[in-house]
Order: sequence, then C-alpha cells, then structure tokens
Amino acid sequence: MELLDRISENLQNGFDETVVQLTEDAVEKQIPPEEILSDGLIVGMNIVGEKFKNHDIFLPDVLLAARAMNGAMEILKPLLIKEGIPVRGKVVIGSVKDDLHDIGKNLVAILLKGAGFEVIDLGNDVPAEKFISAAKEENAHVIGMSALLTTTMPVMKKVVDLAKDEGLFGKVKIIVGGAPVSKEYALEIGADAYSYDGANAVETVESFFPANSR
Amino acid sequence: MRSIVDFAADDVILDRAAILCSQGIPEEAELTENFERIYGEAISLFQQLAASKGITAGISISHFEEVFRGEGLNEPENPVEEIYGESSHLALFAVTLGPVLSEKVTELFDNGDYASGYMLDSVSSFAADRLSVLIAQNLQSELAAAESGKSTLRVLSYSPGYCGWHISGQRKLFEVLCPQEIGITLNESCLMSPIKSVSGVLIAGHGKIHEFANSYPFCDTCRTKSCIGRMRDLK
Ligand code: B12
Ligand code: SF4
Repeated sequence: MELLDRISENLQNGFDETVVQLTEDAVEKQIPPEEILSDGLIVGMNIVGEKFKNHDIFLPDVLLAARAMNGAMEILKPLLIKEGIPVRGKVVIGSVKDDLHDIGKNLVAILLKGAGFEVIDLGNDVPAEKFISAAKEENAHVIGMSALLTTTMPVMKKVVDLAKDEGLFGKVKIIVGGAPVSKEYALEIGADAYSYDGANAVETVESFFPANSR
Repeated sequence: MRSIVDFAADDVILDRAAILCSQGIPEEAELTENFERIYGEAISLFQQLAASKGITAGISISHFEEVFRGEGLNEPENPVEEIYGESSHLALFAVTLGPVLSEKVTELFDNGDYASGYMLDSVSSFAADRLSVLIAQNLQSELAAAESGKSTLRVLSYSPGYCGWHISGQRKLFEVLCPQEIGITLNESCLMSPIKSVSGVLIAGHGKIHEFANSYPFCDTCRTKSCIGRMRDLK
C-alpha cells in the first residue's frame, strides 16, 4: 500500500504513533508536506467525518483520529509555514469568565485542530477583555466562546460589544456554544454564529472561509 | 435532621446503555475495539477515583417556601411549586463525586488522551446524576421504614436550573444546607465546585404528587425532557 494511503488508514483507526512515524517517513522521502496533508491526513479525516455522520463510529473514535492528526501536524506545520502555505484560519477559544467547565470547549478545539485550523485555547474562566486582546495579538479570524450555565452567558455579549468598540467586529467572526446557549441567543447578542456540537462547530467555522474550504 | 452519606464506588450502577445513550449512541450500535477499550478503562478509572458524598437536611414546607423563592426569579408557574405543598416530607440535598475525577479528566485532555478524557467525563456526569437518584432512594427507604413500609411513598429530587426553578435559587439553598461540609462550594455565577455535583430538594409524598403535564411555556425549549422518564418510573 502506498505511504499516503497507509497514513490515511492508520489515522482512521486512531493509531497515532504509527501516523506520526509514517508522516516522518513521508517527509524523509521528500513527499511535499501539502501532499502529505491533503492526500494522506485529510483524506483519512474526511472518511472519519463521513463514518461519524453515518453513525458507523462515535465521538471517541473521532477523537483518537484527531489525536493522530494533531501529532502529524506538529511535524508538518513548520514545513508548511516555511513553504508559505497559509494556515486554514486561526481560532481563539475559551470558556467564559466564572465558567470552570471546559470539556465541551476542549472537544470543539480538538475537532477544529483536526480539521486543520490553528487553535489558541485560552482555557476556562476567561474574562471578556482577554478574548479581545488574544484575538488582536494572534491576528485571529474567529473567537469561540463556551458557557455551561445561563448565569455565565452574559460575558458572551460583553465580548461582542467589546469587539465592536475595538473595531474587530466584521473582521473577526464570533461563534458561541455550550449547553444553555441557543441560536436565538447568538442572534440576540449579535454573535455571528452558534453551534450545537463539535462537528457542527467545524462545519460552521469552515463556512466562514468559503474560498479556503476543502 | 442533617446527615452525611459516603457512597461506596459500586453504589452507583453504571448502566452502560444509559451512558451510551447520553453520548447519543443507540443500544444496537456496533462499537469499535478502540471504543470498547476506552469505555472499559473509563469505568475502572471511575471506580478507583470516585469519592462520592451526599448531604441532606430536612426542612419544613414553610421554610422551603422561602428557600424556593430564592431571588424571585423563578418562572411564575412551575411543577416544583405545585408539588412541594403536597409533600409529606422535604429535605434539601447536595451530592458530589469529589474533585479527583474532574482533575483526571483535565489531565487526560492535557496529555492528548482526548477520547479517554471524554469517556471519563461522560461516565462521571452520568454517575453524578445517579447520585441524586440514590440519595432520594435512601430517604425513601428511611421514610418507608419509619411509616411501616408505606408502598405509595415516592421521593424524587428537583434541582435549581431545571423546570422553572431558577438557577440562582442555589444561593439560598447553600445558605441553609451548607454543603461546604462535604466540599461543595458555589461561585458568584452559581457554578458548583467540584463540577460533578448536583443540588436540590428531595420531595417525599404519594407517587401521584409527582405527576404533572409538561406543558409549561419553558418546556418548549427543554432539551432533557427528563420528567418523562421520571414519571414513567413512578408507575
Ligand atoms: C451532564 C449534565 C450535568 C452533569 C455534569 C455537568 C458537566 N458539564 O460536567 C451534572 C449531573 C453534574 C450536572 C449538574 C448540574 N447541571 Co447539568 N447538565 C448536563 C447536561 C445533560 C449535559 C451537559 C454536558 O456535559 N454535555 C456534554 C458536553 C461534552 O457537551 P457541552 O459542554 O454541551 O459541549 C458541546 C456543545 O454544547 C458545543 N459547545 C460547547 N462549547 C462550545 C463552544 C463553541 C465556540 C461552540 C461553537 C460549540 C460549543 O459543542 C460541545 C461538543 O459537542 C445538560 C443539558 C444538555 N443536554 O446539554 C445539563 C445542564 C447544563 N445542567 C443544568 C443545570 C441547571 C445543572 C445544575 C445547576 C443542577 C443542580 N442544581 O445541581 C448542576 C450544576 C453543576 C455545577 N457544577 O455547577 C442546566 C443549565 C441551565 C442553566 N440555567 O444554565 C442544563 C442546560 C440542563 C437544563 N436545565 O436544560 N449537569
Ligand atoms: S419538559 Fe423539561 S422543563 Fe418541562 S417539566 Fe419536563 S423536564 Fe422540566
């Protein structure tokens, strides 16, 4: 089997160490990094995504594949940057102030990374100002916010308002999520989008970059 | 009366079908070997690390009325208000799995073991929810024994943040119950630490008092519809 097919197959099976090893082999064999990415890793990740949608596999299987993808990306990222190949988009993400729950946010971050986005994870209990300063410093394209309870949701509005004040609005897309958050709430506070789960978050963030989407 | 319970690791029955269902996985689904391995590891980690505790304190109907009113933010009509007046016994409660499980989940995520972290979190969430059922069952057995085994008596738990009881109701509840004694604290935004904790009231009475029509305005947007299963189990 060809090397890139083996990368794709092992990624689908969540064998992260093998994927990393095969990626190193591919780099050594002078296969261009963008080809390793598009014809090996992304082919594998797309199949994983399809199987997940069809309920042939479930979230833990996707997370194993994402771990393998992230491991391989550690090797490819510096090479892609060196060749001037643009990253897919940069997302600053965090759980809002006073919210100490971060599993949902972590899942979204991992799946976005797995889809090729660069993700800056600010952790949990993140004040509104921190989202804005990080987005500026990192030249982020997207701010993602998560909340577990309705009582912490108001921070989301604060971030949207601050983004307007700081001239980021329109330049940086804002997406919100978490158990008590809804599409209506996102609209009400002026966020660009809401997603109900990780897979939907990836699709939504991808839709922010139409020209860039694979 | 106030009492503290230490639950043993195997007090919580980890119902596989229910855990998978909470992950959106149908019972008949075929699971991969990887999935089965991760699930098995999460169950044994849970059994090693859970430090489950509960606290209850009996409360009169009139005192509970004040606790329930909280900060005046409840929905004008809600099931809890209809039910507690009919009860024969009320007790505030809080349960927790302790902090270690959530710390382990964070550690797994930090080490890149996302699938294991997710699975342990999911098993723990299920177990935390089950603790509130267990503490209700404990009270039911106690009350039934005291009342020479009345079989119609049912104890169910109701929590702030659900069914029109505003989440800010936890402040008053904490003032009276003081679950800090078993390590549960509440932050300004009404989030409890450890995260895998549940607070509320145990309402005891004839099974019929727990039956209601789930047609309140807020039911339209309810994602859990947990009342349906609870009322079914009363039968
Ligand atoms: C499991 C659960 C619990 C568990 C564990 C909670 C935990 N998170 O660890 C237990 C039983 C302990 C619990 C306790 C409580 N809970 Co609870 N719980 C839930 C439940 C059923 C699922 C939440 C969950 O963990 N899902 C799994 C994770 C992985 O998903 P997630 O965090 O939602 O993240 C996904 C999406 O939301 C989205 N997402 C998340 N973040 C982001 C960010 C971005 C940018 C995007 C795009 C997407 C996105 O993608 C993620 C991955 O798919 C929800 C209802 C529901 N169906 O959502 C109620 C819910 C969150 N709980 C609720 C309440 C009220 C409570 C309690 C206050 C009850 C009480 N009085 O004890 C306590 C509070 C606990 C605390 N520490 O303070 C309410 C909150 C309502 C409110 N007013 O805020 C909810 C919404 C139920 C309801 N009433 O409808 N709970
Ligand atoms: S539908 Fe939801 S909000 Fe309405 S009573 Fe049932 S559990 Fe409560």
